[in-house]
Amino acid sequence: MNSHVKEITWTGSEFVLPLQTQGDSSQTTGIETAYDSIWAAEVPVADPSPLERIMLAEDKLYVVLAVVLVIWFGIVAMLVRTDRKIKDLERRLSDEGLEGRSKTR
Amino acid sequence: MKTRTEALLKSLIVLWVTAVIFAGFLLDIPRISILEHTARNLYFHVPLWFALMAAFFVSAWHSARFLSTEDLDYDVRASHAAMVGMAFGILGLVTGMVWARFTWYVGTNKWWNNDPKQVMAAVQLMIYGAYFVLRSSFDHSEKRARVSAVYNLFAAATVPFLLYVLPRQFQSLHPGAEGNPAFDEITHPIMRLVFYPAIMGFIALFWWIYSQRVRLTLLERRLEHE
Repeated sequence: MNSHVKEITWTGSEFVLPLQTQGDSSQTTGIETAYDSIWAAEVPVADPSPLERIMLAEDKLYVVLAVVLVIWFGIVAMLVRTDRKIKDLERRLSDEGLEGRSKTR
Repeated sequence: MKTRTEALLKSLIVLWVTAVIFAGFLLDIPRISILEHTARNLYFHVPLWFALMAAFFVSAWHSARFLSTEDLDYDVRASHAAMVGMAFGILGLVTGMVWARFTWYVGTNKWWNNDPKQVMAAVQLMIYGAYFVLRSSFDHSEKRARVSAVYNLFAAATVPFLLYVLPRQFQSLHPGAEGNPAFDEITHPIMRLVFYPAIMGFIALFWWIYSQRVRLTLLERRLEHE
């Protein structure tokens, strides 16, 4: 670990972030966290792409929305799969002339 | 389980997860640069992996039960637990990719960043993917159950290493890795209020989907035997 690391400190009531103006301003992008020594160099100062403009708006809240939607669609996919299995079972029941039994359920 | 208890339990799960989503979005959290609101992904991305670990544990447990009892019902349970666990793992990978892309990898257009934990998780999913390839290569169900149960126990033995021990030896975006503060040090107490219930909620969701699949297969098997 090099000396660029700036810890986020916990005072008991709030987090204190390191001053963002510290350090060599030509190297940093104003983003400083506990991960700095590893990742700061990889954060470029390029203009955001159109997708990024959307995702970075509202303090990046849309990233959370995207994550929740991914999970939601995943659950939907699992529901659809279960549905298909039920269909298969129903079809087999009716193929074997067991409709009467399936009605008892 | 009695039908009434089950219905009650499931409505509780729906309410519980709904509350987690609400609190996840609405509860005020400390602001950290880079992360900003995406810190809230702690409530959604991380519990997926806890559910995966629970799923793989359930799977290994039933494989062990199969080996000691030779009861094929345990094989059904083991395979469905692994399958649903894998689905959660895929969601975990995708959510992690989205998260990193718009935080630490803004402006790089990098969706896959070879974070040690990301790579190990992908390897983990491949190990479990091989479990299903192995299963599909047998026609005889007793033989399939026995061989795949043994493989499953090996697969389960790799979980703590691939998801805990190894990723922590390298520099990573994930807490607790080399040079990173541990989860304890960077997570505000207020976030635990949602985080722990979220883990419980996701494990409950796993159990719900898993038990549906098991019941279906057991019905199918009953149909075959009659």
